[in-house]
Amino acid sequence: MFKLKSIKYIVMSTLLSTIIFFASCEKDITVDIPESDPKIAIEGYISPGQPAYVFLSRTTSFFAPTDSLSLIASAIKGATVTISDGIITDTLVEVLPSIGYLYVSTQVLGQVGSSYVLNISTQEGEFASAITTIRPPVALDSVWFYAQPELDSLGWAWGRLSDPAAPGDHYRWFAKRLGKDDDFIAPLGSVSEDKFFNGLTFDFAYNRGQKPNSNEEDDNNEESGWFKQGDTIVVKFTSITRESFLFWRSAESQTASNGNPFGTPAPLKSNITGGIGIWEGFSFTIDTIYAN
Amino acid sequence: MRHFALFTFLIILTFPLLVNGQSKYSVSGYVKDATTGETLIGANVYLKETLKGTSTNSYGYYSFTVPEGDYTLVITFLGYKSIELPLSLDANVKKNIDLQSMSYTAGEVEITGEKKDENISSVQMSKNEIDMDLVETLPAFMGEVDILKTIQLLPGVQSAGEGNSGYYVRGGGPDQNLVLLDEAVVYNASHLFGFFSVFNADAINNVELYKGGMPAQYGGRLASVLDISMKDGNKKSFHGEGGLGFIASRLTLEGPIKKDTSSFIISARRTFVDLFLQKPFIDESSEIYGNSYYFYDVNAKLDYILSEKDRLYLSGYIGRDVFSFSSRETGFKVRIPWGNATASARWNHIFANKLFLNTTVVFSDYKFSFEAEQQQFNFKLFSGIRDWNFKSDFTWFPSVLHNIKFGGNYTWHTFTPSNVSARSGETDFDLGKIIKLYAHEAAIYINDEWTVSDKVVLSGGIRATYFNQVGPFTRYAQNEEGITTDTIEYDNGTSVKAYFNAEPRFSGVWKLNTVSSLKGSLTQNYQYVHLASLSSVSLPTDVWVPSSSRVKPQLGTQVAMGYFRNLNENKYEASIEMYYKDMKNQIEYKEGAQPDEDVKNNQDNNFVFGKGWSYGAEFFFKKRYGQLNGWVGYTLSYTDRKFPDINDGETFPAKYDRRHDVSLVLSYKLSKKWTFGMVWVYATGNSLTLPQSRLFLNGPVDLAALANDQSGYGQIYYEYGKRNSYRQQSYHRLDISATLHVQKNKKWESSWNFSIFNVYSRLNPYFIYFDDYIDEETGEFKLQAKQVSLFPIIPSVTYNFKF
Repeated sequence: MFKLKSIKYIVMSTLLSTIIFFASCEKDITVDIPESDPKIAIEGYISPGQPAYVFLSRTTSFFAPTDSLSLIASAIKGATVTISDGIITDTLVEVLPSIGYLYVSTQVLGQVGSSYVLNISTQEGEFASAITTIRPPVALDSVWFYAQPELDSLGWAWGRLSDPAAPGDHYRWFAKRLGKDDDFIAPLGSVSEDKFFNGLTFDFAYNRGQKPNSNEEDDNNEESGWFKQGDTIVVKFTSITRESFLFWRSAESQTASNGNPFGTPAPLKSNITGGIGIWEGFSFTIDTIYAN
Repeated sequence: MRHFALFTFLIILTFPLLVNGQSKYSVSGYVKDATTGETLIGANVYLKETLKGTSTNSYGYYSFTVPEGDYTLVITFLGYKSIELPLSLDANVKKNIDLQSMSYTAGEVEITGEKKDENISSVQMSKNEIDMDLVETLPAFMGEVDILKTIQLLPGVQSAGEGNSGYYVRGGGPDQNLVLLDEAVVYNASHLFGFFSVFNADAINNVELYKGGMPAQYGGRLASVLDISMKDGNKKSFHGEGGLGFIASRLTLEGPIKKDTSSFIISARRTFVDLFLQKPFIDESSEIYGNSYYFYDVNAKLDYILSEKDRLYLSGYIGRDVFSFSSRETGFKVRIPWGNATASARWNHIFANKLFLNTTVVFSDYKFSFEAEQQQFNFKLFSGIRDWNFKSDFTWFPSVLHNIKFGGNYTWHTFTPSNVSARSGETDFDLGKIIKLYAHEAAIYINDEWTVSDKVVLSGGIRATYFNQVGPFTRYAQNEEGITTDTIEYDNGTSVKAYFNAEPRFSGVWKLNTVSSLKGSLTQNYQYVHLASLSSVSLPTDVWVPSSSRVKPQLGTQVAMGYFRNLNENKYEASIEMYYKDMKNQIEYKEGAQPDEDVKNNQDNNFVFGKGWSYGAEFFFKKRYGQLNGWVGYTLSYTDRKFPDINDGETFPAKYDRRHDVSLVLSYKLSKKWTFGMVWVYATGNSLTLPQSRLFLNGPVDLAALANDQSGYGQIYYEYGKRNSYRQQSYHRLDISATLHVQKNKKWESSWNFSIFNVYSRLNPYFIYFDDYIDEETGEFKLQAKQVSLFPIIPSVTYNFKF
């Protein structure tokens, strides 16, 4: 949305690559990174009318081999996971006890304005906890598609937002093409805060995000990053907490600046005590764009 | 109490002046180049009988006082024929001296007899001068002769990175170097990510670097002073020089305005790559069409001899980098201009031969701006710093035993930290008011260099400094989460925060014999303006900020000791220096700080503070003249930082930590036609923070999609290890050059410089990143570390001419 940082990266990188049109070379190297102690990695969320989903795994040493087996091995099994909205304390159920990983609430469903405390204790004796709230949803005024004239049928998804008068709103944008994406995808720069546009009405645009390591054809050709005429684009516009905003901003900054000399190492800004990751409540609105 | 002790010391130091009753007379004057009329800086003037004397100051002026008698006055300067003059001293004498430049050709280089040896006898240590004639014979990166890159070859000075003109001195950051061009502060000394410095070598006369033991007339930075003097114009006749290089061309013109009394010099340089990124060289449909980058520099100087006692110098510099880019595909357009401008007016006046005054008015300005647009989006950012500076520096030569410097300095700073405006269509985003910060900075100092005996010279001084940030100013008060809870307004002119400090400076030399000496120094420096950088390379976006209620002035205390030895009739000089430097109130951005956190905020709200220290030993061996000259330098150093809010409060190696640093610099004059140059450098790899463990996150997903395992491994995220705990591979590189002189006739002289950068094409690390991919055969997720290098072997040719 307001992508000061990404603009800077784009420009600085372009500047560099334009000038250094001499071969700058790249080679594979071996770096010696010491083994690290595993930490609990948590990704959990709750939204209105939905149960809480909590994914539990452990961090691994940087170069540890990774295949589906080792991923399963890094999942946490048999942990006691509870959430509490202050009235009910619900113990989450392990969906696949043989694997672990995903824990779901059965009694507590999300409600706008409520706060939720998450507590985790593992069989190995680790503890982690966090708290979040669900902020009220903010609907977009309108959404549309605009094809870049130079690009024929490709373009971005646009939205118009009227930010509420009170400060403290944070947003995250997702989109999914019906029949093409299985899932909502957040592009880089998906989070924003109203510090710069509190109470304003304005238009913004997003490019199309993609799954990490995607091998889809349109993520690897000239359509990469673009929506296309004919797409049915479902937009999920979420209203998130400040903690979520800080977390996802740091996470996206890692993805964007991986090794980039213009960036600094961005540690993840986690809201979890005793672990790393995010426990977030959010509400959302859904809009559909028929791109034509 | 501490201050009282210092003043007592100074009084004791100057006491011998007050009780001396003998008949003494002064001898004084200017030393100039006989052909061009240019003043010579650092020429030695002494009495043959007693070996007592002095050297010319940065305006070519000398003065000293001795008992009456008959003497022989000797004037020597490297590269010039020495002169001996009989001197009968029964009154104050004024002697302006013209020295004849030696024809700089092989076999004819004379070794001037008893050259007095500054490096042994002078009380100043940790100082290096750059010989511009040597610089011009060394290999030049892409054909551009660069004094900042030559400075990096000195022990104790490290390059900021591949092809970078930025430098670190004794474990200090780039903002801790004071860079003066004709006494004007240059805030950003580099073009284009530091690949080239802003100093056009054609316009430079003299370069002095102080790494420690700074005399009291300098202040305001912790690590070093780089004092650059522009050339004076030729006062006798009209001349020009220029060149056509790999990326830029240069032209310098100089001559008398009125013969022997006034002259001008103007020197300009511009890159021309951008000219080839346009039609007819590039087709309009090409992707790089519409991109452009260039930089230029203009240096100009006028000087007037107003009278025997008065001289006036006006000098100016302006340099700009301009980058523009547009993408027709996305409609994205950007324009980024940045650069420095400086102007200085200096007036030298001599009072009664013993007191020399230089008064300077300086304007200095650095600006950066960034304008981008894309369809209905518009984005602008600008930042900068502007100074008005007034100073008066006196040099008083009361006797041959004392050289007293005193003076005062006042600066009015205007800081423009990153100001941003952005709009979408008709809507302006709320990015806060335009922020400008204002501050007064002032200093007074006195320093006495006292020749205690034939063996011992002591120098003691004190610099009192004052800094005051004043309104208008808006302080954004923030809670722990970084959310603004209140704003505090300061009116125009009200004091926001003031600092007053005293900085003692001591140094001494003990001459063991005619060829060796021991030196020591203890100096303290306060620094009131700071540069905090988010990125690991120096960028034009880096912003200067003042000391404030949050940012305390940086304080550096350095102790250095050295042994200096000359060999073979001063043909060779050797030294070992050891130093320890303590740095307080060092500044870094908070861990994980994001650029947009500076917007609608005080930048200093995003800083954290800590301390640092650096120690090391520097070995230097130099052959000063002859057919073959050059030096080898080796530095062993340790530089650490400790911040409560970084790296869990544990000590970590600074970005500037380099264990070993070796430079070998050689220039060989084979014949009248050919000169060869060579530079080899080796440095321990940069320290770096690398990830230590990893995790995968998917972001909130539909459960159905997850069950189908469409999300694969998810997005990888890193947890970083200890700050700067990883070392990149070491850096080493060999550059060579050959210069062919073609003397057509007396009026036209030309040369070709052939340089090869990185002869053995060492792929030095620039940065490291991690590539993640899924192995198509095994379905495994893989991570591969990749090292990116910038410059392989790069040959270049430059054509230079003089008339």
